[in-house]
Amino acid sequence: MRVLVVEDEADLADAIARGLRREGYAVDVAYDGDEAVDKASVNDYDVVCLDLNLPRLDGIEVVRRIRADDFGQPTRVLMLTARDSTRDRITGLDEGADDYLVKPFDFDELKARVRALLRRDAGRSGAVLRVGDIELDSSRHEARRDGHPLALTPKEFALLRYFMSRSGQVLSQEELLEHVWDENADPFTNTVRVTVMTLRRKLADTGGSQPIETVVGRGYRLREQP
Amino acid sequence: MNPPGWLVDRLPEWARSIRFRYTLLYSAVLFGLAAVVVAAIYLVLLMSLRSQPVSAGRGTFCRYGECIRLLSLSEFERLVNTRTLARLRNYSFGALGVLFVASLGVGWVVAGRVLRPIGRITSVAREIQATDLSRRIELPGPDDELKQLADTFDAMLARLDAAFAAQRQFVADASHELRNPLAIIRTNVDVALADPRADPEDLRHTIAVVKRASDRMARLVDDLLALARRQEPTVEHELVDLGAAVAEASDDFLVPAAARQIVLDRAIGPGVVVTGDRDALKRAVANLLENAVRLAPEGSRIRLATGSEGGRAWIAVADEGPGIAPEDQPHVFDRFWRADKGRARADGGTGLGLAIVRQIAESHGGQIRLQSKPGVGSSFVIWLPEAAPASAPAEPGRVPGASALTTAAIPAGRPRPRPPINRGPLSG
Repeated sequence: MRVLVVEDEADLADAIARGLRREGYAVDVAYDGDEAVDKASVNDYDVVCLDLNLPRLDGIEVVRRIRADDFGQPTRVLMLTARDSTRDRITGLDEGADDYLVKPFDFDELKARVRALLRRDAGRSGAVLRVGDIELDSSRHEARRDGHPLALTPKEFALLRYFMSRSGQVLSQEELLEHVWDENADPFTNTVRVTVMTLRRKLADTGGSQPIETVVGRGYRLREQP
Repeated sequence: MNPPGWLVDRLPEWARSIRFRYTLLYSAVLFGLAAVVVAAIYLVLLMSLRSQPVSAGRGTFCRYGECIRLLSLSEFERLVNTRTLARLRNYSFGALGVLFVASLGVGWVVAGRVLRPIGRITSVAREIQATDLSRRIELPGPDDELKQLADTFDAMLARLDAAFAAQRQFVADASHELRNPLAIIRTNVDVALADPRADPEDLRHTIAVVKRASDRMARLVDDLLALARRQEPTVEHELVDLGAAVAEASDDFLVPAAARQIVLDRAIGPGVVVTGDRDALKRAVANLLENAVRLAPEGSRIRLATGSEGGRAWIAVADEGPGIAPEDQPHVFDRFWRADKGRARADGGTGLGLAIVRQIAESHGGQIRLQSKPGVGSSFVIWLPEAAPASAPAEPGRVPGASALTTAAIPAGRPRPRPPINRGPLSG
């Protein structure tokens, strides 16, 4: 899951990014509106955490532009605002934000809201993902297969979460790189292949058949039935 | 027509109204006048009838042993008169009674009509809450006394509305400005606490961030309090040697300016005395210099000058900084206004510095003026009323006019404080 944090207060933006990265999200940071629009037009973000009060380009305008070139899977926008007046919130929501959070916020709440926004796409209602005998609780950061806990690195966890939220679909290496890795990942390394390999090994270690299959020439797929 | 208090308290509500009292007064006056008129008519008639007997003579008429006393004509006349007068009196009383009742009714209706606009004013005023001052009375009708009253009310409401809106805006701005550093502190602490394996380097970084944010909050709170304290006109009324105060305030900036290779030129005219709050005036100068030192490019020159001209003292700060765009110039003295939000905040500005300067100038009965050209520089001039010459310490060596001094200190071709040519109110 790829997240863009747009916030002109660098100290706040960096802290949010650090916290979300630890949750296994691929996080990019933009410090002003122009940069946010640029990054959103290049990368396909799943969630944008957007401060409304931005230099150069206002947050509302950023939402409008992100919405204007939204295609396929919509980008979820969580607006962060230091203004708590109802009118500001209404404007933000009307312009296309999906949710809002008033500063200062509890970081756990931010994480919960990001998870809730990601669930909307998957059409689920709880924090726990289930595909076949694999279970993933994104709020507790735990994954199990057939009841056995899996010891996953944050990147493997994020990768498994992305596979599970799109189970049955063939996911190319490029798409995985786009949604699970942030902009600092080198697209020419085989980091995706290596992480998929280690994840598959850990899944296989718990016994049973390999749930992630290779679709030759196209990518990988998480089978819905084991 | 004000009844005593003890009586008013016992009356029912309708009887305490102006409408009731007005009706009663109207009715009583009408009744009194009518009674006087009727009584006058009665008396005049009575007198005229008495004084003019039409006939005289009396006698007895007898026939067939029976006698009838003949009424004399005058007696007959008197009898008729008495009856007529009695009838007049009765009708008059009746008419007066009817008039009294009718006047009560008419008075009640007329008073109601006259007082109806007041009822409207009252009901609108009652509906207006302190939180919603957008309602107006908007009384229709001719431009009479009551319409003027309603219009005055509306104008007052408009002023109150504007004042409350400004206050709300200020609170919203202040909370917005305070929430950002608070969010920084909270999120950084949350993220650091949630990481059980945080190394000392991460923690040190978090602590440094928290310190920066809390320093910013402290400055902001300081400035907010400074603004709030100076809401009223200055209370401190001492004679301040402006030159000495300005020199003192500027001493603090010699080191920071030198650190950026900025030359701080001081041309402080002696003997200028104003009445006011010395610390506040020093703060105003400090705020202007702080902006100048922060924004001016390295190796540039900042000019600080004071003087007086035509009974008005001035302090001028001119820099060779980036200048202020003409469309932004009307806003620079607004609270929390920043030319570039991100940059000024990162530099540590609270967005209140110039608002405080303006407030200090205005609370001293003065003004602040700005001249700026993007790319050339900005100059701020604070104008203050000079203390009465009698109270000013006489200085033999006093520089007679400040203009020569200013010209010497600030060469032409730069935006510079210009002492007023005309002595009237300054224009931008």
